[in-house]
Amino acid sequence: MTTVDQPREPALPSERGLSRSYARPRRTPLNWVRGGGLAAFLFLLPLFFVFGAFSWYPIVRTAIMSFQHTNFVQAPTWVGFQNFAAVWHDPQFPIAVKNTAYFALLALLFGYPIPLVAAVLMSEVRKRRGFYSVLAFLPVVIPPVVGVLLWKTFYDASSQGVFNTVLHWVGLGPYPWLQSQQWAMPSLVLYSTWANAGATMIIYLAALIGVNPELYEAASVDGAGLVRKVWHITLPQIRAVLLVTMILQIIGTAQVFLEPYLFTDGGPVHATLTVMLLIYNYAFGNSLGGDYGKATALSLMLAGFLIVFSLVYLRATRSWSTR
Amino acid sequence: MKSTRVAMIVVAAVVLGIGASTAAGSTRSAKRVTISVASLIPGSTQAAINQFNAQVKEFERKNPTIKVKPVEYQWTAPTFAAKLAAGTLPTVFEVPFTDARTLGDNGQLANLTPYFKRLPYHKKYNKAVIAEGTDAKGQIIALPKGAYAQALHYNRALFKQAGLNPNKPPTTWGQIRKDARIITQKTGKPGYVEMAKNDNTAGWILTTLVYSLGGRMEKGIGTHAKATLNNRYTIQALNMLKAMRWTDNSMGSNFDLGWSDINQAFAAGQIGMYISGSDVYTNLVQAYNVNPSIYGLTTIPLAKNKKAGVLGGGTLAAVRPKVNKAQLAAAMKWISFFYEQPLVSKKQAIRNAKTLVANHQPVGVPALPLFNKKQYNLANHWIKRYINVPLGHMRPFLNGIFKQKLIPEPEASTQSVYNALNAVVEAVLTNQNTNVVQMLQQANAQAQAAIKQGS
Amino acid sequence: MSKPDSGGGLISEIDWRKPSTRWGMRTLHALLLVGLVVIGLGPILWLAKSAITPTIDTISHPMALFPHGAAWSNLSQAWSGVQVGRYFWNTVVIAFGSWAVQIVVATTGGFALSVLRPRYAPIIKGLLLATLFIPAIVLLVPLYIEVVRLPIVHKSLIDSYWALWLPYGASAFNVILVTRFFDNLPREIFEAAEIDGAGPFQLFRRIVLPMSKPILGVVSVFAVLASWKDFLWPFLVLTNPNVQPLSVRLPSIELQTSLGVFLAAMFIACLVPIGGFLIFQRSFLGGTGLGGAIKG
Repeated sequence: MTTVDQPREPALPSERGLSRSYARPRRTPLNWVRGGGLAAFLFLLPLFFVFGAFSWYPIVRTAIMSFQHTNFVQAPTWVGFQNFAAVWHDPQFPIAVKNTAYFALLALLFGYPIPLVAAVLMSEVRKRRGFYSVLAFLPVVIPPVVGVLLWKTFYDASSQGVFNTVLHWVGLGPYPWLQSQQWAMPSLVLYSTWANAGATMIIYLAALIGVNPELYEAASVDGAGLVRKVWHITLPQIRAVLLVTMILQIIGTAQVFLEPYLFTDGGPVHATLTVMLLIYNYAFGNSLGGDYGKATALSLMLAGFLIVFSLVYLRATRSWSTR
Repeated sequence: MKSTRVAMIVVAAVVLGIGASTAAGSTRSAKRVTISVASLIPGSTQAAINQFNAQVKEFERKNPTIKVKPVEYQWTAPTFAAKLAAGTLPTVFEVPFTDARTLGDNGQLANLTPYFKRLPYHKKYNKAVIAEGTDAKGQIIALPKGAYAQALHYNRALFKQAGLNPNKPPTTWGQIRKDARIITQKTGKPGYVEMAKNDNTAGWILTTLVYSLGGRMEKGIGTHAKATLNNRYTIQALNMLKAMRWTDNSMGSNFDLGWSDINQAFAAGQIGMYISGSDVYTNLVQAYNVNPSIYGLTTIPLAKNKKAGVLGGGTLAAVRPKVNKAQLAAAMKWISFFYEQPLVSKKQAIRNAKTLVANHQPVGVPALPLFNKKQYNLANHWIKRYINVPLGHMRPFLNGIFKQKLIPEPEASTQSVYNALNAVVEAVLTNQNTNVVQMLQQANAQAQAAIKQGS
Repeated sequence: MSKPDSGGGLISEIDWRKPSTRWGMRTLHALLLVGLVVIGLGPILWLAKSAITPTIDTISHPMALFPHGAAWSNLSQAWSGVQVGRYFWNTVVIAFGSWAVQIVVATTGGFALSVLRPRYAPIIKGLLLATLFIPAIVLLVPLYIEVVRLPIVHKSLIDSYWALWLPYGASAFNVILVTRFFDNLPREIFEAAEIDGAGPFQLFRRIVLPMSKPILGVVSVFAVLASWKDFLWPFLVLTNPNVQPLSVRLPSIELQTSLGVFLAAMFIACLVPIGGFLIFQRSFLGGTGLGGAIKG
């Protein structure tokens, strides 16, 4: 993705005054307006306003607030690294980190290969592939709140719960689902996979269809079987998409909030407490007012980690994806 | 193309207009004062809403310069904090005993003292109750609207079905355990269910159990209090729960029930017995249309221990701090009319009862006295013939409650104490091999840290 | 690029003619189809069935089919009692407003950065890219405090839809997407228009916007979907139940509503997203949708 333009011939007359290869006229306000500067500025006003007020300013404030103690009654005071230390020493912090990693890992294990396999199968469907796509994508359009509340009903742990009833038909269960410290997180991942796999499937499908069939033909001529074709042609060809979806999924699952909040509120016994939920609890959990310092400190820590992780990931996979 | 664009602009303008007006605030004209007041919890029945509106009309008739706007309201820890921060609480709102004093000390509640002193009945308040609404400087920052004691609610129909006598509910913890086992065996429904939700109701009920065995969660007051969560009565209570859960299997299979969930399940006939405030019958009727014939109320059994007692709490009505004088006066008038008058004025009590009855709302749900005993008996006598709750089914509670010692909730950082206990309760109920002692130690440390910080 | 109805090419034509391959694939496809129906469609069908089943039956025999008849009253109660209609309308209003703000910001910003190209454009682009990398949680707390008490004007946006519309508008992804799209527009058309005497505003309105339909379609789909699904932010800033969208309202009334009515309300809440999806399938699934956006 290019962010800075390659030098090129200035296309618009308005640009000529601003290009580097021409002698620049004196920069007076009138010339600026004439040179199209005012128009550009005016067009950028909505962006400046919206981003400035609701994106860049809050980001800066997070950094500031993480070094302060804030309540709404008095003015904020500077407390140095106290908030970070408090978060670091909070016994719930390592639990939240572990749980978030666990969720991300499980989600990757289930939510990554399954859509791929399904997409490969779907790409070979000769008639009415659209029908398959619609079915797969249906869970994605269900509003997440509805999905979670629906699955909460499914996960009822009594023997009359929906899943327990169905599993009973094949002689399994009843299972505790959200009521057990071991089962709670996998239950969340199961729901999350159901809700999101469809989107990933569609993306993979689009990429798979884009693979040049001549490559397969050439491989067939060389006597390659199905599995070898997939491993040596399909996967490398859709490499870029695979890498992008992986990093997006990791970043997304690292910020999981809705599922732990609505399903189990971080329980039982903190088994589903994620970093995002911990931030929420810091800021909004205490009925007497939140600890915004700790909340912003933890936000920064999570953001920092994700940024570093993304950069490392991009570095490591750059060689693989541009080979 | 152009017409659709114009149409879109028109729609957008209308929509923005709606958006702008929903953000509009309170007072309009100078002569009329407008205040917003907490009304009912979200999702209440139409009948309950009608009844409340009837009360509002009555008040506005008596006070033509005051306009009252009802706002749905339910106190839960996270939403209250958010509203407090955003300043979007109604002018008159409710807070539990546990939070009022800290809020008052932090300047987040209006000072009501001058108006309080003008109330004709202000001297009749029960000292312990009015203390809950008094801040560290001795100022009145909230008025009590209701006090409750924890009680044992039981399903008479399930008792009958299990072969137990609904008129003889359990009077010891041993009997509770036995009856729960029998109910589960004979009816398939959990015999005893306890709140174990992460929203601090888990810690609240556990504290209730511990009080009834003779234990306390704290020693001392304020930020110098010492947390005693891991006393032997807590361990005893948790072992009791462990036995009922894992040995008897009489506590059901869902353990994330909070105050509302458990009421909902009970009203649907899914629960044999549970512990909650003595005043939940109102909610059972208003939100879930409970069948009165299944409802039974009795006291929580107390151990034969001098310190054993029943946890008592309550709710106060408070006013937002940044209101002008006219609004504050109006707010006090509303508080007096809606919350206090039915208890101190015969005319008001009868009128209030009549409106409640007309809208099929419960009258006569057992409440604890806000004023002295004499006033309490008098108020109950006034509304005697309007009572429409199954008082007979509540006889065991009414007979026993005044013989029990009422203990206020842990004074310092109450919500944080409950919060620390949540995980322990959840653990005992979801993991048979929970190390209770170790978990209680952690909970104690967590609570102590919060107490020291004053949060 | 292989044609849609002839398979992806993984299995060659020769292989297809082999009966073992054909039947093997057919079995796999059948299994896949059954799997998709059960997993994708199953929960929704259950929701539809339970929406008109009495609560008692849903609790005791969740998989039975109307053992005691249907309870159509669930739906009417959900509509009038729970007032699903009103919260649904709120959801629509919020989606519309955030769509409008996002379109305005993305098109004007993209136009300036791509076509007008002021000297400081690289800085803006850099900032946007950086914003893209920063996870959304970083914004949450200070944005909330800012909305509670706007700096300078000291007003509160709590319970106002602007608290949703404006922050949603700050989508770096949208701006970058639109900028790249504009970058790919042929410059000759702009030059021709300029020669004809068109100024930047006319260029924007008459030339660029009409050519942007495909990318605006993509942005719109993302915008509406994102606003429809959002929970935490509307939950925090909309405290007045009357203005809350469905995603915020449903959890808070879950406990006050009987299960049957609640499921009916959830079902009604699903109808529009599902309906919209079925109608606008192309935008979601087609080449200009997700697939196209990712390829770019």
